[in-house]
Amino acid sequence: MAVTEHTGTRVKTRVPALSLRNVEKAFGQVTALSCVNLDAQVGEIHFVVGDNGAGKSTTLKILAGMHTADAGEISLNGTPVHFADASDAKAQGIAVVHQNLALVECLDVATNMSLGAIPKRGFMLDRKAMEREAEAVLSDLKVRVGSVRTQIGLLSGGERQIVAIARAVRMNLPIILLDEPTAALGVRETAHVGEILQELRRKGKTVICISHDLDFVFKLADKVTVMRLGKSVATLTADQARHDLVVGLITGSIDAAQIEKRSHD
Amino acid sequence: MTDQPVSVNSAAKKTRFTLEMFLRPELTLIIVIVAIAIATSFVNPNFLNIGNLTDIGRAAVIYFVMACGASLLMIGGGLDFSVGAVFTLGAITTTMLLQAGVPWPIAIVVGVFVGGVAGYLNSQIIQKLHVPSIIATLGSFYIFTGLTIQVTGGQDILPLPRAFQVLGQGAIFGIPYVVLYAAVVGAAFWFVLEHTPFGVEVRAVGGNREAAQANGIKVERVERIIYILGGATAAFAGIIYAARVGSGQVAAGGSAVTLTVITAVLIGGVSLQGGLGTITGIAVGAVLLSEIDNALIVASIPPQYNTIIVGVILIAAVAVDHIRRQRLYRVKR
Ligand SMILES: Nc1ncnc2c1ncn2[C@@H]1O[C@H](COP(=O)(O)OP(=O)(O)OP(=O)(O)O)[C@@H](O)[C@H]1O
Ligand SMILES: [Mg+2]
Repeated sequence: MAVTEHTGTRVKTRVPALSLRNVEKAFGQVTALSCVNLDAQVGEIHFVVGDNGAGKSTTLKILAGMHTADAGEISLNGTPVHFADASDAKAQGIAVVHQNLALVECLDVATNMSLGAIPKRGFMLDRKAMEREAEAVLSDLKVRVGSVRTQIGLLSGGERQIVAIARAVRMNLPIILLDEPTAALGVRETAHVGEILQELRRKGKTVICISHDLDFVFKLADKVTVMRLGKSVATLTADQARHDLVVGLITGSIDAAQIEKRSHD
Repeated sequence: MTDQPVSVNSAAKKTRFTLEMFLRPELTLIIVIVAIAIATSFVNPNFLNIGNLTDIGRAAVIYFVMACGASLLMIGGGLDFSVGAVFTLGAITTTMLLQAGVPWPIAIVVGVFVGGVAGYLNSQIIQKLHVPSIIATLGSFYIFTGLTIQVTGGQDILPLPRAFQVLGQGAIFGIPYVVLYAAVVGAAFWFVLEHTPFGVEVRAVGGNREAAQANGIKVERVERIIYILGGATAAFAGIIYAARVGSGQVAAGGSAVTLTVITAVLIGGVSLQGGLGTITGIAVGAVLLSEIDNALIVASIPPQYNTIIVGVILIAAVAVDHIRRQRLYRVKR
């Protein structure tokens, strides 16, 4: 981040770790995104909220290298970037927890956690390292595993979700994207994921998280970006993000232009 | 802070024992193999002669070599119906080169290479034209079959040089060379599948293609490679067969070989849904198929029983595979 001196007063101009400018995306006739803007900083938990079909997952998939934007610009630390595919996005520092989790059911926990970054010894698979790493990450996250050799197919929905999150954490990349990471989780597990996100923030990661659980959002958010009908309608700071305001922006009953006024009330 | 760790392993422990057993379909097959051996040796004790067992091994080899490539392909979620035609294509290429005076090592390499090219073409039809693998390779089966008839004029290729025939007919310390080739091919495929990152990627692509892609695996590249290997092993098997019988036969491969190979792979525990399967399972499956062939002859049972028994075993094996998947996934698939 750059710190510039202005005639005595210090003005901090932080370059966003990740920034989207006027991103558009259509699937044939369906316009999924018509104008998305988003700035996420280092050490920030940035939530993206919005109704079903608002374009949240599409935005995330563009950042994950799975879709290519039709128009607009993506920058990392101020540098425009382009992702050829998912492995390219990962190589440029983005880890992802997908809405559908992207786990392979017939492979075990350790193997799933290493997909896309498989530990090698020479040209051979290093299964011991793979299992050791998986165990280390899971115990770091205080997730108890009987065996990392358990097939994913044997786990419950919530357990799978935790493994998917643990996999993204294991990548240890500067930016982590999560698409509804608590959708299948109970109260205690949701709180646990909250702690994991806070820990990532403490480590200086940029955390971008999609969620429908507004209590979860308000508890953790540094910023909240609201999406509606393929547009990012507003980005609120933690103190601006009041429940009725966020709900109003999501449903469209409040116009983004009114935010300024309401925050002075 | 929630101090109690979140548990990820509620169901696993209980099911562990039964699961391990289901994960090893080769165990069940070995029991079947031993049972058939015992039953047959009651009818004809000659069944257990070293000579007869060697015959079983020799016959199993051709299928096993092809099944190695086909199983990697099917574990990776692919399917290749053209292998029977590529088998002939490889044999014809190599034997025609031999007749033109090309030294046998080069003739073999070129034959295997042509098989690899056939596999590559299959992968491109599937990826670029978005034709489902079963249809793409059924189409290429007909095309490759037509090509072999065109270039040979329907005539078998013979005679072949003695040096080449020895490769398929010779033995060392009583072990046929062809068994050694199969051992090498099997070991190589086993190593790739179980001990390389590529093997993990193949299973991931076959188990859940979308998930593999989302995790940064180059799915199309993996698919290209497994189709190429499938074609190359099919051609290699055809070449070994030509050396064994001493001629490049236009009618040696075909749909019968395709079906037998896919049957061996399925009986060996590879699932049509991808992801699951082992090379040891394939080896046991190939041995079982050739044992049944042999046992029915040795016990003087009419050949139609062969196909009936193979059909029953195939259906039983896939039914067991379904139960296995249910256990593995907890959901009905
Ligand atoms: N691959 C695709 N092909 C066609 N249309 C798509 C595709 N992916 C998304 N869409 C469309 O884009 C729009 C936005 O979808 P998206 O999945 O981004 O919504 P979302 O905000 O994540 O919703 P949810 O909260 O239900 O997950 C929807 O209208 C959807 O139908
Ligand atoms: Mg979504």
